[in-house]
Amino acid sequence: MIWFTWRQFRAQTWITIGALAALGGVLVITAGSIADAYEAANVANCGGNCADALDAFLQQVRGSTSGTVYDLTNVLLHVMPVLIGVFWGAPLIARELETGTHRLAWNQSVTRTRWLAAKLGIIGTATAATAGLLTWAVSVWAQDVDSATGDRIAPGLFEIRGIVPIGYALFAFTLGVALGMIIRRTVPAMAATLGIYVVTAISMTEWLRAHLISATHTIKPLDITSPGALETLNINPETNQVIVRGSANLPDAWVLSNESITDAGHVFTGPINMQACGDNQSPETCLNWVDSLGLRQELSYHPANHFWPLQWAETGILLGLSALLVGFCFWWIRRRVS
Amino acid sequence: MISPVIQAEGLSKRYGRREALSDCTLSIPPKHVVGLVGPNGAGKTTLLHVAVGLLPPTKGRIEVLGGRPASDPAQLARVGFVAQDAPTYAGLSIADHLRFGAHTNPRWDQRMAEERITKLGLDPSQKAGRLSGGQRAQLALTMAIAKRPELLILDEPVASLDPLARREFLQGLMGFIADQDASVILSSHLVSDLERVCDYLIVLVASRVRVAGEVDDLLASHFRLTGPRRDPADLPPGTEVIEDSHTDRQSTFIVRRAAPIDDPALSVEQLTLEDLVLAYMSRAPRNPHPALETTP
Repeated sequence: MIWFTWRQFRAQTWITIGALAALGGVLVITAGSIADAYEAANVANCGGNCADALDAFLQQVRGSTSGTVYDLTNVLLHVMPVLIGVFWGAPLIARELETGTHRLAWNQSVTRTRWLAAKLGIIGTATAATAGLLTWAVSVWAQDVDSATGDRIAPGLFEIRGIVPIGYALFAFTLGVALGMIIRRTVPAMAATLGIYVVTAISMTEWLRAHLISATHTIKPLDITSPGALETLNINPETNQVIVRGSANLPDAWVLSNESITDAGHVFTGPINMQACGDNQSPETCLNWVDSLGLRQELSYHPANHFWPLQWAETGILLGLSALLVGFCFWWIRRRVS
Repeated sequence: MISPVIQAEGLSKRYGRREALSDCTLSIPPKHVVGLVGPNGAGKTTLLHVAVGLLPPTKGRIEVLGGRPASDPAQLARVGFVAQDAPTYAGLSIADHLRFGAHTNPRWDQRMAEERITKLGLDPSQKAGRLSGGQRAQLALTMAIAKRPELLILDEPVASLDPLARREFLQGLMGFIADQDASVILSSHLVSDLERVCDYLIVLVASRVRVAGEVDDLLASHFRLTGPRRDPADLPPGTEVIEDSHTDRQSTFIVRRAAPIDDPALSVEQLTLEDLVLAYMSRAPRNPHPALETTP
């Protein structure tokens, strides 16, 4: 069974190895230019002026080929689980059922449970290995850029770093297999896999991830007068509303909410003091009035050290879903498929 | 004692509300070449799929060679199956198929498989997707035979083949039967395909088994009776009417009867297998003894 599964999967294996090797080559070639930019911006010995050094480094990387490669690897890592689910998962059983070859396979002296176990085991391992290798290679290559942007925990980068891509890839793969088994036709199964995967991945990022471990909350006096401390001051005389937001100033964190609250604990929205913020008043006057209100800044965020706990939690959920899908596949192949 | 090839009791299979197999009771003795014949949609494929374990029955019990179908690798090894339209992996070569068989079957006979492929004039490196229907069927048959099963089941193996390929396929099958001491079940909607190879016959019509038995016994116990017009009820006792047709003056019956008929008013004729099967196929399902029609 192992030989045969590998034989059926041979073309995909070579394509994948070829693509990984090509990408590896690109990463090796461009790694030097990132190191050079890092060196040139003198980030290692930036002393008191690190922000400028990092900005200079990022600017130089963005303007070079490495910047393009960085963006492309982002896209590639985001679509990698989809590709695996659609091209490895969905056809795995669906194509057999569609062409009737399962009737040939299931009448060799191998139970269909073992047949499925071999397929899931081998292609599942290939999935985890591909996702892990790809993520690892890109993470190592992009290490300096990631720490310069401090975005590793932010949505958009979080799901393509660490171990969670393996979870996403295995989820997409098992989802594809299960849907292929139910739908029994390759192309509709591929479409369904794509749709359900995208919805799941977006839901995870948009709604679920922030709550996987409890976020850090802080309340402190709102500072809007120091240089760079004000993020937003929005005055709307028509609705008599003021929206003011101080800068979160948490460079490596994922900020979930940032609000200015009154003593009573409500979000401050006005009313506007027209004497300070009227049409003929200077912005400073208005800002000083807001400052005099004694507002506090309430922040909710995941600091950088939540990266790994969040990674483990999200990977755990995805592996749990994959395990459920695998269990379903074994149940379905024994009861429902013929 | 050797267990029957197939022992089924009250076997039924439903797809939603449609009954594909109803209350099927069978006991097929070993070492026969069994023809399963019936019109398209009669339930032949369903019965064979239940027998090889591809489908679980809805009701009833089935044992194949004394074991539960597809219950374990040992049971799977004992039964060879060629599914309808002989599915093969289009992207894989003939050699890959044989290697697949070698890897997954404990009693696989690689030398015999290779010899068969050579004898058929096929190139082992050729992709199965490039083979003609007849060649694909031969490949599927080779895989099923090389497994050296005790029971070989073939579902409509020749239905989609041209007459020449049909003859070659059946010759190959006969070769297997002569070499190996195995039982064979093959289905067809045409009796002519089965006539030359089968010594046991099952007629399946509208999801029910109409008749089953050894071909010689069936031929010896079925007759065509022709005589003056009469009601089927007036035939001698112990006669089961399978089919009757009447003109103003004459009645023709196809009957099943153990003993010879001793009625000078009737002329008794032997049936061909085809006539026998056609009689069962055209028999009204829920009305085994139709009353004589009153002709205007």
